[in-house]
This record gives sequence, C-alpha cells and structure tokens, in this order.
Amino acid sequence: MSVLVTGCNGFLGVSVVERLLARGERDLVLLLRSGSKRARLDAVLKSDAAKGAKVEVRAGSLATREEAARVIEGCDTIYHLAAAMSGAAADMFLGTVVTARNLLEAAAARPKPPKIVLCSSFAVYGVADAPRGTLVDERTPLEAYPELRDPYAQSKLKQEQLVWEYAEKRNVPVVVLRPGVIYGPNGPAMSTRVGLNLFGVFLHLGGDNALPLTFVENCADAIVVAGQSPRAVGEVYNVVDDDLLSAAAYLSRYKRDVKPVRSVRVPYPALTALSHAVAKYHTFSRGQLPAVFTPYKTKTAWKGNRFENAKIKSIGWSPIVPTDEALRRTFESLRPAQ
Amino acid sequence: MSLRVAIVGCGKIADGHIEEIQKMPELAQVVGVCDIEPIMAEQIAMRYRLDYFTTDFDRLLAEKKPDVVHITTPPGSHLALAMRSLEAGAHVYVEKPLTMNFEDSKKLVAKVQEAKKVLTIGYTYLFDPPALEMRDLIRSGEIGDVVHVESFFGYNLAGPFGAAILGDPAHWVHRLPGKLFHNNIDHLLNKVVEFIGDDDAKVIASGSVRRPQRFGDARDQMADELRVMIQGKSVTSYCTFSSHVRPPPHYVRVFGTKNVVHADFAARTVTLEAPAKLPSAIGRLIPAFEMARQYAQAGTRNARKFAKSEFHFFSGLNYLFRRYYEAIHAGSAPPIPYAEILRVSKWMDDIFAQTSAVPAKEVVR
Repeated sequence: MSVLVTGCNGFLGVSVVERLLARGERDLVLLLRSGSKRARLDAVLKSDAAKGAKVEVRAGSLATREEAARVIEGCDTIYHLAAAMSGAAADMFLGTVVTARNLLEAAAARPKPPKIVLCSSFAVYGVADAPRGTLVDERTPLEAYPELRDPYAQSKLKQEQLVWEYAEKRNVPVVVLRPGVIYGPNGPAMSTRVGLNLFGVFLHLGGDNALPLTFVENCADAIVVAGQSPRAVGEVYNVVDDDLLSAAAYLSRYKRDVKPVRSVRVPYPALTALSHAVAKYHTFSRGQLPAVFTPYKTKTAWKGNRFENAKIKSIGWSPIVPTDEALRRTFESLRPAQ
Repeated sequence: MSLRVAIVGCGKIADGHIEEIQKMPELAQVVGVCDIEPIMAEQIAMRYRLDYFTTDFDRLLAEKKPDVVHITTPPGSHLALAMRSLEAGAHVYVEKPLTMNFEDSKKLVAKVQEAKKVLTIGYTYLFDPPALEMRDLIRSGEIGDVVHVESFFGYNLAGPFGAAILGDPAHWVHRLPGKLFHNNIDHLLNKVVEFIGDDDAKVIASGSVRRPQRFGDARDQMADELRVMIQGKSVTSYCTFSSHVRPPPHYVRVFGTKNVVHADFAARTVTLEAPAKLPSAIGRLIPAFEMARQYAQAGTRNARKFAKSEFHFFSGLNYLFRRYYEAIHAGSAPPIPYAEILRVSKWMDDIFAQTSAVPAKEVVR
C-alpha cells in the first residue's frame, strides 16, 4: 500500500514529500492538478533521498466523491494538505471543506478506511475571550463563533470538525496537526500576527506578542512524525518550534536582514479602539468599506498568547532546523536581488 | 410589506445578493438559501446568520413560500429552477446568462408572462452610477442621435474566478456552449442592446485563444479574446472582450451626431468629448483642460457620494434590486425590458455559432 499526499506541490507540501522520503517512505502517490508548475517538487523527486523510492504522480482532483475514490485507490495513509489559501468564502469552502468531505467519504466507503493525517491550523482555536497571555495548547476550545471570523478560519474549522465526525461515526482513523505560522523560503514574508501593510506603511500590530512560528521543514517533519506514529491516531498536535520570537523581534530582524520597512507600532489599546471605529463605520456606511478590523478578530489575532510543543515532542519530534538558522535561510531567500 | 426572498445557488455571487438584500429590510428579506451541496448551503447561512438552509429546492419553495427566488446557480440549471419557481408562484431574478440559449430564454420569458410574474436578470452595470448618468445625458439630447456604440469588457483570468476555471478542467464553464464568453459577455452586450432595437441586426464575431497552451485538456480550448461587430439599421457597435489587456478596461462609448460620451465603469466617470471651439493651434490647446475639468468634477462628485456612504462597490446590484422589488410591489414595468434580455440572448447564440470552433494555437511571443 502507498502513502498519498494531497497538496504535495504547495509551500508546505513539497517539504512534506521531502520529509516522507527522508523518513523512509518508499512508496508515494502524489496528487497533482494537471498543468501545475512543479519545479520545486521535481527537485525533491530528483534528490538522493528519492533514490529507489516508487513515486507515482497522480493527476486528479477531489472535486467529487467519485474522483476522490479514484485518487485514494491503493493508499492506506493520506497526508491531506490540500486547502484553499485565498479567494472568496465560497472558494475557500469549496477548496477546503467540500474536497475534505469528498476525501473522507471515499475513505469511509472502503472496507478498511485509510488513515488520514490532516493539516489543520491554529486558526481553529477560539481565543478571543481568553485572557491575554493564555497558553494555547491542544485542550484550548475550538472557535464557538465562526461567523465572527474570516473565511480561512471558518473553512479550516469546518474541515477539522468534519474530520472528527468521520473519525467518530465512520471509523476513519485520523491524526490532526495544527501548525502555527508556517514560514520559510518561498513562503509568505510576514504573518498578519506581526502586522499589516496599509497604503505603503507597515502597521506593526503584534507588539511583543510571541509568534507561534514553525519553519516549513520542521512543520513538515512534525506532520510525518505524527503520521508515522501508531500512538498518534485519534490525537491532535499543535506544531510550533522552540525558541519562539516576538513579533517585534521578527520585524526588526526582517528589517535588518531583508530590507528596510517603514513601520508604525500600534499599541493594543489603540488597535482595539481602531477596530471598534472600523466596525462602526462598516455598519454606519452599510458596508461601503470592508471591516478589515473588528474587535473580535483583533482579540483573536493580536491580544497575545503563549504556545508550547510538549505534546508533539512526546511522540519523538523536535525541530530539525533551529529557529536562528531557519530565519537566516528564510530572510536570505526574501532579500531583494542586488 | 417586505418581500420574502429565497436564494438558490450559494456560490460567490450569492454573497453579494444577500449583503445587498440585508441593506433593504423595508423591501425584502432573505427567508432561506438552497444549494445542491449541503456544505455550501450551510456556510452561507452561518456567515449571514440565516436560520433556513436546505439542499432540497422544492422543500424550500413549499416551506418558505418565497415571493421572489434569486437564481444564482451555474447557467445550466437556470431554466429549470426558474420554471419551478414560477410554478410555485414566485417572481424570478436570474443571474446572467439567462439560460443556455435563445430558445430556452424565449420559453422562460413566455412562462413569466403567462404566470403574470416579474423577471429580471443580473445586468447590474446598467444601474451603476456611470450608466445612470450616461443615460441622463443621452435623454437630455446632449449627444444627438446615436450612430455607433463601443463596449469594452476586460477580464482578469488571474482573479479568483479565473483561477477556479483554469484550475479545474471539469469546471462548469468549460461545458457551456460559449465557455468563458458565455458566462461573461452579457456584461459586454447589455450596454449596447438599448441602442440597437432591431431584432435582425447582423452579428459578426471572432474568438481566439491568446494564452500559452499548457494543460493538454479542455482548458486549452477555452477562447479568451472576442471581437464582435453588430450592425443594426441605423446604429452599429463594436464589442471587445479581452482577458489580456491590463488594467482590464470596462467602458462604453456612445458616438452621437452631436457629441461622444464615455462612461468608464472602472473609474466611475462619465465624460463628454471636448470639441475644439477656437481656430487653429489654440483650438487644440483647450480640450485637454476641458477634459481635466470634467474629471475633476467627476472625482469631486464621487468623493461627495463616498462621504454620504453612497459609493458602494455593488451600487448597481443594490439599485437593480430596489427597482425590481418596487416593480413587483407596484405591478409596474420590469427594470430591464424583456425584449432587450431576449436580444442579448439571441446575439449570444449568433456569437457562439461563430466562435465555437476556435483552433487552439501556441502563441508566439
């Protein structure tokens, strides 16, 4: 039986393929949409770690249950990383939730359902009403008011809820990973937890909050460790690295190592006041401008939490690239060419 | 009394419908949503705090008894859903394109008239501020008799919808007779149709693929550039649909016997050509200043509207909904004449007949 990876050509997916090969998987099926640009994936498939491994690139999609059944044929473990990262709410639900449901249906229909290793997200936690500095771990409650969150959080929450539903009612073995902010070469430069670019000025909103960073290779390795661990079935793991930086430290290192950025630090009370004003204007103007900030989203993203990785470490994972080295590599790739 | 509105089809455009309806509680309220995919019906109900969602359209009609059904599904299901809505006693708002072809469009309009209900279609740009302003100018006689109309609709295939189409060879757009054009050129043609009243206008169309071929499937066959010439008895038109011009133009120019009006939907401006009123080189000096004055005026007007919260992105949608609901309440004429809706549908058939066999070719750059 083979190991299937969906979303194998994405920012995280390529690293997951690399870690699967490094951790001894010899029989991989990679789901890829036809016409995809795959230079990074091909580089991994041509590396030494891939020597002797059987890798099938399977064209297809998870758009229907029938397609999904065909895609998972012959696979007993599925690393499900495919998700919509941007677009309208409808696109996100189609690309993240409907696809996951089709995959789960196809899995549940098999006499012995394959194991599904889901890449979920920190976005599923409901931390808006938790006090500042609350430790976010695997027991933190899921978001209870998804209608107040953005479509990414809404769709990832629904996706994870579906996975648990199929685990419970249809006996699909599942492992869920909730990474924090994934960063690395070829990835996004700045998490919104640090701040937002607004009309050419970077609003530094995260202050001295800890960032739940995880370097893409570390995160990929955690996913593979959990996917290969028999103890992990039915469990959920947060993924963050050691030596976490504050948003302020990340920004100042970015300025030093990548490029100068004009930034304005917005203290949390000012940000709260701004969010109230934006939400009020949104209502007053009957939606003339989108509610970029709302008090609820602000509390969720910028109030400030603490993070830990004890549970994923208990099954044998630890970061393979130290944070200092990971930042160096990331910022080097982001530095504008001279 | 507020009309009870049901929405069938919970994709992207349904968001716009619900948001605008929720701004006019005195005229209408959303009583339920329906989608064949339960996840899509549920997500929209969750986001807009609606308490009724279902996958069963007949159940929605029976249980919520809507006065109006907004059909925001892919075009292939428009006719069947509209017919069922009419049979259940509802008025129908259908997203563009009305149906898959002219024959079906005629069937639907006949059914609407027989049922004595009101139909409209999502020609929202016809009610955007520039279109309204342009129509006022034409009505005032400012441009004289219309001679020619030019319509340009730019499309961005790198946008969210374009990405969805290009990302999936099984996307419903690839199964439409007119593919990408079928889902978009209502917006190209509907700005022209009010000026060309003849039913037998001659339509000449040419489509092509400008993208490099890279998929090896249905997607490569999807034409992305279209040129259309429409020849009526007294008015002619050129229409351009382009997926490659940047920034995507979106305008209509109406050429009259006295002046030319340019309505720009992207910039929300309406300007008149400035003829040279003075002789020789001096005459060439003035028009630029005259255009600057007009743009400054338009900008000021827009800023004033923004300050009054009247400068919404979906202005046309809101205006059309109001006009439509008011027509239902008052039993007055529909906001868009059925003859114009049908003429667009016929032109589309004519165009697709000429562009359906577009040879796929490698573009050399």
